[in-house]
Amino acid sequence: MNIRVTYAAFRQQMTHFLTDPQWIIPSLIAPFMFTIVTLMIFKDVDGPIVLQAVLGGGVLGMWGNTLYSSGWSISYDRYNGTLEPLMVSPTNLMDVVTGRSIWNTLIGLSNAVLVFIFAELMFQTGVGLSDPLQFFFILVITLASLASIGLIFSAFFVLTRASSVLMSSLEFPIYVVSGAMFPISILPGWAIPISYILAPSWGVDAMKIAAIDGYTGIGPGILGSLGIMIGLTVLYIIMAKWFFRKIERNVRNHGTIGRF
Amino acid sequence: MVEELTKVFPGKRKRPDKRAVDGISFHVKRGEIFGLLGPNGAGKTTTIRMLSTMLIPTSGSAMVLGQDVTKDEVRIRRRINLVSGGERGLYYRLTGRQNLRFFSELYGIDPHIRDERIDRLLELVDLKESADLRVEDYSRGMKQRIHIARALVNDPEVLFLDEPTLGLDPEIARDIRALIRRMADQGTTILLTTHYMFEAEELCDRIAIISNGKLVAQGNALELKDSVNNATVIHVETRDDPFEAVDVLEDTEGVIHVNYDRVPGRFITRIQVEQSSDLLGDVNEVMRGLRVLRIGYDEPTLEDTYITLVSANEH
Ligand SMILES: Nc1ncnc2c1ncn2[C@@H]1O[C@H](COP(=O)(O)OP(=O)(O)O)[C@@H](O)[C@H]1O
Ligand SMILES: [Mg+2]
Repeated sequence: MNIRVTYAAFRQQMTHFLTDPQWIIPSLIAPFMFTIVTLMIFKDVDGPIVLQAVLGGGVLGMWGNTLYSSGWSISYDRYNGTLEPLMVSPTNLMDVVTGRSIWNTLIGLSNAVLVFIFAELMFQTGVGLSDPLQFFFILVITLASLASIGLIFSAFFVLTRASSVLMSSLEFPIYVVSGAMFPISILPGWAIPISYILAPSWGVDAMKIAAIDGYTGIGPGILGSLGIMIGLTVLYIIMAKWFFRKIERNVRNHGTIGRF
Repeated sequence: MVEELTKVFPGKRKRPDKRAVDGISFHVKRGEIFGLLGPNGAGKTTTIRMLSTMLIPTSGSAMVLGQDVTKDEVRIRRRINLVSGGERGLYYRLTGRQNLRFFSELYGIDPHIRDERIDRLLELVDLKESADLRVEDYSRGMKQRIHIARALVNDPEVLFLDEPTLGLDPEIARDIRALIRRMADQGTTILLTTHYMFEAEELCDRIAIISNGKLVAQGNALELKDSVNNATVIHVETRDDPFEAVDVLEDTEGVIHVNYDRVPGRFITRIQVEQSSDLLGDVNEVMRGLRVLRIGYDEPTLEDTYITLVSANEH
């Protein structure tokens, strides 16, 4: 990996974002709605449900950003004509997309923080974390796994030539299956394996264990969940590399990317 | 150095394979401006994309700066750059300077050299004042100039320009051509494609004419004119539209090619005929009644040569 290129791409994405920061609003709508509705329904309940609402909203925001901002990353360059100068440079495209994906993930995190502050102001949920340090650590790893999923989305969408259709059709299933909206345990049986191959599901589970007293999670406990998440993230990075090599091959053999 | 370079795009679904470039060979010298001239669809872009490592040749070989375009792409990419015509290819929400800086980073250029070079490039393309405006606010000509500056961030030894003046206003196109000259004067080797004959004649030290994926002639403008030295041109100016006469002439023995153009107030017909044939009388006969203003033999121009070469290959 080329740190300088990744950092330059991170800054590029940041500048792009800051020239038009109102773009954060669409990605805030779904998490806010989710959190508000959940909190209104369970107004008189406290503790776990409130945390589930706030955490779920936050995770929703992070997923939405990964899906839309990172997923659009290379497709944007193709549409914008900048894919050619990127490819003609000696840089690996994946380094560029990594930098952007990291920025997008941070924006996703700031979504989550906004949801949290908002919930606190409106409902005075008074949530506290049982183990803040542990929670923070799990959060960082979860963000990394989201960033690596961003890489896969960006490559996969541009290879299938259907970025926007795929993006919008994946949004809701991902919210459900990732365990952000409902606990994974109440999902129908066939959906559970899908949930299990999404690394952040394990992160969300570990965060819930860390945050909610008495929550026991889906099985392997905090450390087990963390381990599985890290393993899956490494797998994602390997997959992303393979996708990116496929992009370069398609371009150089056929003159176009999408061949499916 | 290009040898027997060929690109076949595999046909998608039921469509047949497309032989876009068909066994072309040429050699570009260090420091010269070399032009690939040909009509739309001739295979110019495909050729330039193979040379800039963006496409892998189906067969044949191409060496750029002593490296093989198929295998040594990363090494070549450090030392070349590519500009494609048209407005796309920049980040519109970034400023001109931010664009240049981002692309410099892709080449890992030392920050001191980078900033100095960016200033120099902005000066070269005359965008110093607008460097900190967003590219979306640039005019067409400014975009094309920042494009060229973008392609110079790595101080390339070879610069590939694909139709650099396509769709530009004449004055802007003139500026761009002056800029290309200046880069060549500074020692950059330039390979450009164009379908404007006069542009190739004005800019290029040497020209290769391609048509239907095949190289039909190469040399400097004079050599190219000589290469079809068996042709002469009969130049006719008429008041009336000569389209029927043109049909007749095209089927006449000894006529290589006929083209005609409408200019204000009259029609100009140029008939390329084999040198040995004496067709002036026949042309006069066919053109009778079209209010002929002028008729006579003329020296072939590069444009005539180009038309002859390209149309000969199309049949
Ligand atoms: N990626 C591609 N796949 C299939 N055919 C292509 C592709 N790119 C170009 N072609 C075909 O190859 C021929 C040459 O195209 P091109 O090199 O773009 O010509 P030029 O640049 O001289 O106008 C055209 O017939 C074009 O349709
Ligand atoms: Mg072209």
